Amino acid sequence: MRKALPWILPPLVVVILAALPWFASPTIIQFGISTLILATLSQSWNIIGGYTGYASFGNSVFYGLGIYGTAVAMVQFGLPFWVGMLVGGLLSVVFAVLLGLPVLRLRGHYFAIATLALAQVMSAIVSNVQVAGGNQGLVLPLFRGDKMFYELALGLLVLATLTVFWLSRSRFGFGLISIREDEDAAAVMGVNTTYYKVIAFALSGVFTALAGGIHAYWITFVEPESAFDITLNVKMIIMAVFGGPGSVFGPIVGAFVLQSVSEILATKISSLAGLFFGLVIVVAVVFMPKGLIDLRKRIGRLGWRYFTRNVKENRL
Amino acid sequence: MGAILEVKGLTKRFSGLVAVNNVSFRVGEGEILGLIGPNGAGKTTIVSLISGTLRPTSGVLRFAGREIQTLPAFRRAQLSIGRTFQVMKPFPGLSVVDNVAVGALFGSGGGHSDLSGAREAARHWLDFVGLAHRADQHADSLGGPDRKRLELAKALAMKPKLLLLDEVMAGLNLVEIDEVIEVVKKVRAEGISILVIEHVMKAIQRLSDRLMVLHHGEKIAEGHPDEVLNDIHVIEAYLGRRRV
Repeated sequence: MRKALPWILPPLVVVILAALPWFASPTIIQFGISTLILATLSQSWNIIGGYTGYASFGNSVFYGLGIYGTAVAMVQFGLPFWVGMLVGGLLSVVFAVLLGLPVLRLRGHYFAIATLALAQVMSAIVSNVQVAGGNQGLVLPLFRGDKMFYELALGLLVLATLTVFWLSRSRFGFGLISIREDEDAAAVMGVNTTYYKVIAFALSGVFTALAGGIHAYWITFVEPESAFDITLNVKMIIMAVFGGPGSVFGPIVGAFVLQSVSEILATKISSLAGLFFGLVIVVAVVFMPKGLIDLRKRIGRLGWRYFTRNVKENRL
Repeated sequence: MGAILEVKGLTKRFSGLVAVNNVSFRVGEGEILGLIGPNGAGKTTIVSLISGTLRPTSGVLRFAGREIQTLPAFRRAQLSIGRTFQVMKPFPGLSVVDNVAVGALFGSGGGHSDLSGAREAARHWLDFVGLAHRADQHADSLGGPDRKRLELAKALAMKPKLLLLDEVMAGLNLVEIDEVIEVVKKVRAEGISILVIEHVMKAIQRLSDRLMVLHHGEKIAEGHPDEVLNDIHVIEAYLGRRRV
């Protein structure tokens, strides 16, 4: 039974989550949609950031491309929603390959800085494109159906998670992990590092863009500032790191826990919510730098020593 | 005896500094060629040039009859050139067996396609280098000597035809050195050609079929180990010129 649990639990959770809209209040469903989208974003970031070790700040560009791909296709060309999602996904793949090739040559901080600039640039470009509505943005046709958005977001999260699950136990995934651990060593062992990195970037991009598409149709209004919002990218990273980067379920757990915490804080003490939220993250990073997943794995054996050891190992 | 590796006029410049200057040599099939020289002679640079970590400024590298100097490192690995790093590069977050499995998954000819097959092969190579008992530990928990073994197992799992060993014995005690020498001999018995860099003279003298000496990036001697070590230029390079 103990051995079977890891195989039974995830499908069970999915079934329960899928059934939720038929029981829960509209507020809960709204919260569910935004959390599922954030979990998908965090899981997507996990592919390039957690598994490949490239801390991307460019994922908000993928998100923006997904949002605008969907919005432009639906508003300006009258295409159906799913075509819009497809357009957004394709745009993100093109972007990942074209920009990934030069940018993924940079390592560490340099990669982070280069991708950080991309979101600002894209926001400025889109503001000046007429077909994308310029500064004014675009208004999408209204579709009342939170249940559908909820199930779509859940489906996408499941798909992204299955992809990451495959990564965790495939040759391709091991290639990515070896790049994260030591790129030079990976190359002399036969890993085509450039190709692997670009594919990882594109995979990360596709799921992010599809999540953006769902978001656009759900919110029905898009504008450059919020579509290419860098703070959203920071959120993806925080959630993935909080839950456990480079693990299959860490980013999802991180997203759900942090969203719940911030929701509770926002309703109880709205003005101080931001402060407490920051405090939670600082404490988490200091005492459990490998995330909740690692904490769950090792706290049983180590007890309180788990925290002191982390603090010592990181020389704090 | 056919040559697995032929090096002609290999040169590497780092903006002004000539690290390797017009060096030519060959490694025979099944041969162990020793490469020695004082610090900064360019030994590791040569290994990096052959493995593709660095690109040569000029010169020709021919591996199994094929020119490889323009190929990226991963292609050369797939053609079955394996190397170890002097500054060891384990994948610290992975278990010991998974470290080696990466070599089996990629490596020569693309390697295994499935994880379980690769892990099985990895266990075989861990056993080969005498590290099987630590297979399931984290790589960063290994001490110096075991890290050297891990480095060796990772390269072997790639099923190389040519193995480049960059100071796998540095920092080991005499007993450990003997153990590594035995492992290297076992590797050669598998039909693998080896280029070995070493500071431990006794070890390299015992291991090598031939010895090549590098000084300031140039080859100053080559031949039978006993002759080379008695060569006056080699002694000068290591100990300095005798003043009269």
